[in-house]
Amino acid sequence: MSDNPRQEYSEQEAAQVFDEEFMPHIDAMYNFAYRLTFDEDEAKDLVQETYLKAFRFINSFQQGTNAKAWLFRILKNSFINDFRKKSKQPAKVDYQEVETYYNSDDVDFKGTSDLRVDTVKDMLGDEISNALNSLAVDFRTVIILCDLEGFTYEEMAKILDIPIGTVRSRLHRARNLLKDKLRSYAQSMGYDN
Amino acid sequence: MEKEPTNGEKKLTCGDKAACMQLLEMILDGQADDDQCAQLESKLEKCLPCFEYYHLEKTIREVMKSKCTNKEVPKDLLSNIREIIAKA
Repeated sequence: MSDNPRQEYSEQEAAQVFDEEFMPHIDAMYNFAYRLTFDEDEAKDLVQETYLKAFRFINSFQQGTNAKAWLFRILKNSFINDFRKKSKQPAKVDYQEVETYYNSDDVDFKGTSDLRVDTVKDMLGDEISNALNSLAVDFRTVIILCDLEGFTYEEMAKILDIPIGTVRSRLHRARNLLKDKLRSYAQSMGYDN
Repeated sequence: MEKEPTNGEKKLTCGDKAACMQLLEMILDGQADDDQCAQLESKLEKCLPCFEYYHLEKTIREVMKSKCTNKEVPKDLLSNIREIIAKA
């Protein structure tokens, strides 16, 4: 659960850590869970399970370290180990596509986009949200962690158990895919692009 | 030697697009050091592709952040968690 040395919190200290360091992140946790599951009930269960695990393993959490990153790691692992297996939603990942993208840490930065700033600004929340949701879960996850939640590459590497180089390349590819989706939306909605 | 085309003061083609995009992404992600951040202004002033790439990426991040983080937490989630922990 953590590389940190084990703590020995008293019951009162554990309750304080839980309330002051874990609970303030419940909004971000629920939003992350919902973007993974696309289902309100499953997101709720996933967050609940994450907090119960966090409480059970609270002695592995070192006070003053990044509680949000610690919680997100638990949530991501719970999603992969439990929820993705029993989810009603079929896996949408095209593994061949993902493997092709992941096989190298080299990042192709040559790609360009004819998407315009004003077009993106004019898009509705649903269009942006649908574009993000349509990405394979591994690509969606890095965008959520970086762009919505503001984690650093190093924190993301720990949350996802992957090297920093892979975080950077996956992120770049995810953003290119997102721009492709946004461009398609813009064209289908008749935005001037 | 052929002169690069310009739009006013800005170059229309980027001499090292891969390196520039990588740098701009690191700056936008808050991962660049002070020296790298110091290059931003001159890049955006001098190079149209860098200027457009930077502003598009920045806008996408801003729009997503304002429109994709607003799912309201169910009212009973917090109380459910507290209840289960109290019983533990």
